[in-house]
Amino acid sequence: MKEQILSVGIDIGTTTTQLVFSQLTLENTASLISVPRIEIIDKEVIFRSDIHFTPLRSKHEIDDNEIRDLILKDYSYAGITPDQVQTGAAIITGEAAKKKNAESVLVALSGLAGEFVVATAGPTLEGIIAGKGAGACQESKKRGATIVNLDIGGGTTNIAVFRNGELIDTACLDIGGRLIRFNNNQGGVSYIADKLRNLTRSMNLTVTENQTLGQGLIEKVANRMASILEEVLGLSEVSSELDMMLTDHDLKRDYHIDYVSFSGGVADCIENTKNGEDFRFGDIGVALGRAIALSKIPQQLKVLQAVETIRATVVGAGSHTTGISGSTISVSPGVLPMKNIPVLKLSMEDESLPLVQWGEAILRKVQWFNLDGEKQNLALAFCGQANLGFNEVKILAQEIIKGMQGVLCKTCPLVVVIEIDLAKVMGQTLRSQLGDKKDVICIDTIKVENGDYIDIGRELVDGNVVPIIVKTLVLNY
Amino acid sequence: MVDMENKIKQLIEDVLREMGQQKNNSLERVSPSLSSEEPLTDLTAENLREQLLVPSPANRDAYLKFKGSTASRIGIWHAGSRYLTKSLLRFRADHAIAQDAVFNNVSEKFIKEWGILEVKTKCTDKDQFLTRPDLGRQLDVENADLLKKNCLRNARVQIYVADGLSSTAVEKNAKDTYLALAQGLEGHGIKVGTPFFLRYARVPAMDAVSEILQPEVIVVLIGERPGLATAESMSCYMVYNASVGMPEARRTVVSNIHQGGVPGVEAGAHIADVVKQMLDQKASGLELKK
Amino acid sequence: MKLKTVLSGVVYEFKDLKEVLAKANEEKSGDRLAGLAAATIAEMVAAKEVLADLTLADLRNNPTVPYEDDEVTRLDQDAVNERIYAEIKSFTVAGFREWLLSHQTCGDDIIRISRGLTSEMVASVTKLMTNLDLIYAASKINILAHCNTTIGDPGVLAFRLQPNHTTDDLDGIRISTFEGLSYGSGDALIGLNPVNDTVESLSNILHMFQEIKETYEIPTQNCVLGHVTTQMEAVKKGAPADMIFQSIAGSEKGNTAFGLNAAMLAEARDLMLKEGTATGPNVMYFETGQGAELSSDAHHGVDQVTMEARCYGFAKHFDPFLVNTVVGFIGPEYLYDSKQVIRAGLEDLFMGKLTGISMGVDACYTNHMKADQNDIENLAVLLGTAGCNYLITVPQGDDIMLNYQSLGYHEAAALRSLLKQRPIPAFECWLEKMGIYDNGQLSQIAGDASRFFKG
Repeated sequence: MKEQILSVGIDIGTTTTQLVFSQLTLENTASLISVPRIEIIDKEVIFRSDIHFTPLRSKHEIDDNEIRDLILKDYSYAGITPDQVQTGAAIITGEAAKKKNAESVLVALSGLAGEFVVATAGPTLEGIIAGKGAGACQESKKRGATIVNLDIGGGTTNIAVFRNGELIDTACLDIGGRLIRFNNNQGGVSYIADKLRNLTRSMNLTVTENQTLGQGLIEKVANRMASILEEVLGLSEVSSELDMMLTDHDLKRDYHIDYVSFSGGVADCIENTKNGEDFRFGDIGVALGRAIALSKIPQQLKVLQAVETIRATVVGAGSHTTGISGSTISVSPGVLPMKNIPVLKLSMEDESLPLVQWGEAILRKVQWFNLDGEKQNLALAFCGQANLGFNEVKILAQEIIKGMQGVLCKTCPLVVVIEIDLAKVMGQTLRSQLGDKKDVICIDTIKVENGDYIDIGRELVDGNVVPIIVKTLVLNY
Repeated sequence: MVDMENKIKQLIEDVLREMGQQKNNSLERVSPSLSSEEPLTDLTAENLREQLLVPSPANRDAYLKFKGSTASRIGIWHAGSRYLTKSLLRFRADHAIAQDAVFNNVSEKFIKEWGILEVKTKCTDKDQFLTRPDLGRQLDVENADLLKKNCLRNARVQIYVADGLSSTAVEKNAKDTYLALAQGLEGHGIKVGTPFFLRYARVPAMDAVSEILQPEVIVVLIGERPGLATAESMSCYMVYNASVGMPEARRTVVSNIHQGGVPGVEAGAHIADVVKQMLDQKASGLELKK
Repeated sequence: MKLKTVLSGVVYEFKDLKEVLAKANEEKSGDRLAGLAAATIAEMVAAKEVLADLTLADLRNNPTVPYEDDEVTRLDQDAVNERIYAEIKSFTVAGFREWLLSHQTCGDDIIRISRGLTSEMVASVTKLMTNLDLIYAASKINILAHCNTTIGDPGVLAFRLQPNHTTDDLDGIRISTFEGLSYGSGDALIGLNPVNDTVESLSNILHMFQEIKETYEIPTQNCVLGHVTTQMEAVKKGAPADMIFQSIAGSEKGNTAFGLNAAMLAEARDLMLKEGTATGPNVMYFETGQGAELSSDAHHGVDQVTMEARCYGFAKHFDPFLVNTVVGFIGPEYLYDSKQVIRAGLEDLFMGKLTGISMGVDACYTNHMKADQNDIENLAVLLGTAGCNYLITVPQGDDIMLNYQSLGYHEAAALRSLLKQRPIPAFECWLEKMGIYDNGQLSQIAGDASRFFKG
């Protein structure tokens, strides 16, 4: 019993816009004599769009109409209509993520994206998604190793570190291929980013627009950029410029690195650089790639070939953002999908209270949320304790009902998200106590935190599971 | 906010520790015994998935991560080419628990507290039950009459509990599973027969019970043969319109019901939906379409 | 055929050969459940006496399941080398026993005579033997087979590594495989009993085994023990299997209950010779166990030792690389306690070797049986002494999927060093190369499965 769902990934960045379609295969992997256990057993990218330049109306303003056209064309190339797409994510990064642009992108995508998520990504999230798309996360699990993925794009290098399949560290630097751009094959500078200008100053160089950089100087700047990456990885002594180039926090560097992998546009310049092609893209990317190839990074660390390079982010968005719930859940018919539900997670202290005090605790916390609108909902989340007997489940249901009055008096459904495997009986018990008049969505085997928003898709595989997207970091850019 | 709560919790714990208590947990047995009488740690309490006895593994993190994906006894190291005493004793303790589950009877107290009827198969004791599977499938006239006299006949769904090969499984899971299952069926508007306990019973005894009480669907919650990982695992077998001698393929099974597998309450809720499908389709086992 | 005797003044008369064979058995709860066992020990001895006097021709001429009704009987009878049979047909069972035990008889003599035997003859002589007789006679016989490596050389004790998992989780199987290898197990086979008997699941696991074998250059063989038809499908779709496995029974009816017949196994073998990954020529693997036929009501009123011998006759037809009895798996209704399990284990090993197949044993017990780890450790030492080709190992003897206990990975090294035996030579070289063995013993780093990470 297999079921396939179609997922879209869209990456709209400062420079490029890309799209992929991925096919996710769900299957009940439990034996016939067990309670079902549905898992995503395969993720396959079935369509990759060309890499488009992001259409701009002016230097800082995205052209939403043209974006819409681009994406419509890609849909038709792929032979896919928006209503076939069941899940996915659009990641908006860099300049595109500025508030005004993000809004116009939202408008551009409306109606095209079916039910999928539109998310503005911070560099941290982008780095994580790229690391997953590059295969670093999966490979670190398979090898039992610590793998650093450097996603080196036009503007930034987003770093995600995975150990045994789990994220352990991130960082972001202003190191990218398009931070210096050239307007001719002699090295005439048409643009230099402020941060890079500062970096060159620290090298006692002055680089300005309209200046011509000789081969030696370009190399020198690229080498310095690569050495910043050596520093962040702990291969060279940290200089004061590292701190300047970091956009947020540094890597912790308190672990051993087994492998490094490269994704992003510059990754393709690390291996495939022929002499004389330095100005192929009209920027410093090719030189930066060569500098990295000659740096301490490949000399001192084992390099793993990424499964995706320039498309790592978009593939990550298409293939690695959707999860699924546990396989015994309780969902009132016809209510899903639901989007952008804020999460109220009970604290460990709340959960250690006697069950009969949970209602009070929930009630107190619901008040933190501003539940004015009739449709403004809230997902109650908790971990749940093992070994609950049936009578305790009944008490817990009473307490949830007591605590969630603020939601229950509205027309929207009651949404409960549990970490342990308890959702089916909890949903059934809630429904039994609420008397069928109220829609109940009770799902489990999902970990969320306060501040998260959750999207719940339509039931799949005979109603046994629902697709879930947890948006953890997306709205705090 | 969470941080604040954690800080307060930490503070309370620090204060309590200074006062000489371990944890603020009223459920914990406080035994002010002399140190010489304090028991050793409970061997069986340690989670084997988190236990790594290899003294200096090449890759501890990966070892633990992969160990976490299996209940197998992995990373247990060795003394020469034999086991460390700790893992040897743990193995023996787990075997003792498993054998107790098989050879001990479901207690009278459990049946009495639940307040359900007890009947038995043709087996006279545990030893006969283990060596004569044929007798564990049949009821004598006396026990059949007890059922007829005390239980609702022709119920849409008859649920009962049987010891099978683990009395521990039954005592730990049967009641919660039953209650969740009954609630689920009620939610579907389905009437449930009178529950009872059948001692010394094999799975096919359900066919005989079905012929006696004539429900549409018969459901038995029965102890599985214990392994070392758990002795508490229970199965649920279900048949639509069962009869003695019917093909085995007509049985629907949900196994692995226990705290470390599918918890009893959750399994009960799931089984309610499966039974509902059987009633709707008038079929079970391989004939049941998903 | 004389079916009557007197013992201590009591006359014992048996109605047919089947009854003699059944009642001559050492006590087994399964024979009792089937209503075939001797009522008293005296009756058992009387039956042994009657059996001792019968000739091998009597046994050839009276197969326990009729030739016309049963393909297992037909394959067994038709495979007899008539010239060799003619040499031995006038042996009594007693005489045959003494010939087997004689100093003048060597292993190659036995292997030759084996071609003139039927399963009933193999079973009969077993019933007259003590445990030490069984060990002694079995130890003379060396049956070699070759898949990717050679099993069965004298002085070699091999082990199957069985990394079973409750949900076929690939990570869980992988770490268990590494663990077993790190203790020197896995030279006979890396073989998993899957939970999900689907083409896809089998293929995934086979691909992983293949990847492990290739990455670490391990000279061994792999197999995933699904149903024969599922494995064939997987192989046809390109899954890398060295062997095809199937559980078999000693009667056609029993095999039907397992969903197979001889033609199917022949087809599987052909497929493996054409599309399998192994060198061969031995590319089949079978498991058996006393009592299996009774449990599917396919025993035809025949005792479980004789039915077991018939399994081996059937298996031999397909030139297997491995055959093992899963001796304590079936439960106390067939083998009541450790005494019966140990007896059955020794009987099965001897019968398999006498039949001429590469025989191993899964020395094991379930939790509803009156046996414990001490008992199967005893059995393992006896089997090792008797020249068992291989034994089965799981992590510390606890199979979390099949819920029974077998030998542990550690036992591989312990038994080899105790019994002065070694791994399959190519595998031993590999163990030394990997640093797991150091001069034939577990090294300082043995038992650390995490050394297999970071390849």
